[in-house]
Amino acid sequence: MSKTTRILTVDDSASMRALLNHALSTNGFDVAQADDGVSALEWLAVNEVDVVITDINMPRLDGFGLIEQVRGGTRHRDRPILVLTTESSDEKKARARAAGATGWIVKPFDTDKLVAAVRRVAH
Amino acid sequence: MSPEEIQQIFFAECEESLAAAESGLAACHAGTHDSDTVNAVFRAVHSIKGGAGAFGYTALQGYTHTFETLLSDVREGLVAIESQLVDLLLRALDTLSDHVEAAREGGDAPADAALISEMESAMAANGGGAAAAPETAPEPEPTPEPAPEAEASEGAGDDLDLDALLDDLTAGFEAPAPQAAEAPAAEASAAEDKRWKVHLRPRAGAMRNGSEPLLMLRDMAELGGECAICDVSQVPPLDAFDVSQGYLGWTFAMPADVSEEAVRDIFDFIGDDCALAIGDDVEIPAVQIVEAAPAPKPEPIAINPAPAVEPAAAASPAPAPEKAPEAPAPVAEVKSAAADKAVTADKPAPPEKAAGPASGAPAATSGQSIRIDLFKLDRLIDLVGELVIAQAMLVQRLDGASVTATEELSLLETLTRDIQESAMSIRAQPIASVFSRVPRILRDLAASTGKHVKLDVFGETTELDKTVIERLGEPLTHLIRNAVDHGIESAEDRIAAGKPPEGTLTLSAEHRSGRIVISISDDGAGINREVVLRKAIEKGIVSPDAQLSAEEIDNLIFAPGFSTAQVVSNISGRGVGMDVVRQNVKDLGGRITIDSTPGKGTAFILTLPLTLAISDGMIVDVGDQTLVVPLAHVVESLRPGEAEIHGLGSSRRMLNVRGRFIPIISLKDALGAPTGATDPRDGVLIVVDTESAGQAALLVDDICDQRQFVIKSLATNFRSVEGVAGATILGDGRVALIVDVDGLVACALPSNERQAA
Repeated sequence: MSKTTRILTVDDSASMRALLNHALSTNGFDVAQADDGVSALEWLAVNEVDVVITDINMPRLDGFGLIEQVRGGTRHRDRPILVLTTESSDEKKARARAAGATGWIVKPFDTDKLVAAVRRVAH
Repeated sequence: MSPEEIQQIFFAECEESLAAAESGLAACHAGTHDSDTVNAVFRAVHSIKGGAGAFGYTALQGYTHTFETLLSDVREGLVAIESQLVDLLLRALDTLSDHVEAAREGGDAPADAALISEMESAMAANGGGAAAAPETAPEPEPTPEPAPEAEASEGAGDDLDLDALLDDLTAGFEAPAPQAAEAPAAEASAAEDKRWKVHLRPRAGAMRNGSEPLLMLRDMAELGGECAICDVSQVPPLDAFDVSQGYLGWTFAMPADVSEEAVRDIFDFIGDDCALAIGDDVEIPAVQIVEAAPAPKPEPIAINPAPAVEPAAAASPAPAPEKAPEAPAPVAEVKSAAADKAVTADKPAPPEKAAGPASGAPAATSGQSIRIDLFKLDRLIDLVGELVIAQAMLVQRLDGASVTATEELSLLETLTRDIQESAMSIRAQPIASVFSRVPRILRDLAASTGKHVKLDVFGETTELDKTVIERLGEPLTHLIRNAVDHGIESAEDRIAAGKPPEGTLTLSAEHRSGRIVISISDDGAGINREVVLRKAIEKGIVSPDAQLSAEEIDNLIFAPGFSTAQVVSNISGRGVGMDVVRQNVKDLGGRITIDSTPGKGTAFILTLPLTLAISDGMIVDVGDQTLVVPLAHVVESLRPGEAEIHGLGSSRRMLNVRGRFIPIISLKDALGAPTGATDPRDGVLIVVDTESAGQAALLVDDICDQRQFVIKSLATNFRSVEGVAGATILGDGRVALIVDVDGLVACALPSNERQAA
């Protein structure tokens, strides 16, 4: 794939966004940021994306809500979405998968694993 | 962005989170227990935990984990919100704040063992044991099977990651056939070509969720796997072909040095949506045609070398954890999300970090904030100031040229004003961020003084300039400590005075005619004026025969070096006193006044500008010059009578203001203006307060106007001039100098005369 993989990171924590941005952009990814589900949807409405990485617990519209909206839409329905969460319970994972997440990354993340997970799902 | 900078963002976030948690818990304390409030507190602590983990602050992370777990129980309704619990949470928050501080300063983490065990027992009391972490607890009806597995994953704690997850899965799969995990290597060595086989068949769901089975085949190939068989036998005739179904199956031969774990890792995300079988004598799992029904049927993943032998045993552990939470969970989520929204919409209770409008829902808008370099914002506000001036100039010019464009001009004026207001509002933040720190101060004070004080807060959504807010914290803290330490009496004294034993501190903020008025009032004993006056005379602050009004006596507590505390406590007395508070307020372009009634209490009233970019000023004439005197310094203005002017030596004159003498300074002389009033009887005297030289009376020809002005630095455009704070552009386009009152008075008075005030 010659085109740079473009990733939208969605997290309400600015420091987490900065960490993701740092980890991903130093590995050659093109990174965009949104601070919750609503602004992610606003961004997605006018931008193309290869992979979405989203936090679960966010104000306004949480990660599950975001995934449901993306899967329920038309433009990005088939985009891979990774869930980034500190909540590592199986219940949350099952819910994430049921809600339409492609995969997950558990915070605090290891840069190599993050990149591997992104590569695994990037079309 | 460097890691250090990211760390700074994290700590800034911690502050916001702590403030949000504080205000949320304050709301809980006041009786608001709705899910929105609790969730806000949970999210705040959760967010600190996330960052702590990412930045490797293990002590902070460990502590927040316990805190979060307890909050999660609260959020899930497993622990009832009682006042005792809220107290515990508040104390936990105080320690969290200390933890954050320790992480930031690199200091030792606070002692938290007692609190942690207290929090754990709070969980145990209701949630069923401290070990039952939040993730397991909220499961609606945990079936016996997933329970041990969930606990196993809990054991891994926060470090649970992809590998750990894989271990969990493997553990589940191993149950029926424990040898499976180790088997491949052994079998592979037994096999002739030292390769082992993986059979897979993606199911209908494999294409959902943005997954692409092709990528898994690619990953298999990257590991060195070779495609041995591609089963196309199940592909139906074209008319029966459904693109969303999985018809193809593969068998891959993997090199012996590739671990089963590495292969399973590839299929980690896809889970049940790709049937997987490992072993040489196993078939590719059968095709499953899934009907339109959305719920994927739980199917055993055949990894057992002989799946057909014990299908039931293989089936039970694997799908159970998947299935159990799946059905009820989304429903619950939709409900709580809807409830959250409903609450947010009509209730502005937990004011978070938001800079949104005061009306509406601050909690809801908070997430939408963006961070802007303050410099850019200040530039914008500066430009808007210019725009306002340009607009005023245009109006004046067109008026002079008798051009009638009333409609257009009034449109322009409205727009300009709107732009100015919204530019100002960008810098504005609700004062709640300052007020929310007060409960902690009161708790600390209660611990050290034994005085329990109830807090009433009004107008916390009132917005004011960010810089003002930032610099308001210190004086406000001092005033509050002062109120509790000196103002509010001990419980015994209060009861003797017929008051409730618990004192009340009232904080309020409101907009009043373009300024912010903040009041800090207590229901204590009021200022003891006799003691204050005696002390002031002792310290030589006033002369023994001075005739002072009650108000003037009250104001003596702002005099430098004044302190009435019998015992200098470590709370409010340390030499720096109320004079510093007044100076801080004055630096913000504000004023502080006292309203004290003996026996009833004292109120400190701070009047602050909405913004620092625009100040209020008095426009005065001195000869042919127009000058601006910042209103923050002005005490009063008067036309003196003959009897009030007293000569002092040959050239100096003093003004008698109700028995006190203050020096008169002629602005004409001080600034070297060629013309202007030199005799106080010909002009107007403006009594001003100064930082270092007490009060003085400035003599000017006349006062023309009082208006807002935008300060332009003289130093950047010309050079700094003593006695001049800057310049501003008047409505008619002329430049007017702004008088630096402190500098001018200090400069004009010989040092020995400054004490006269």
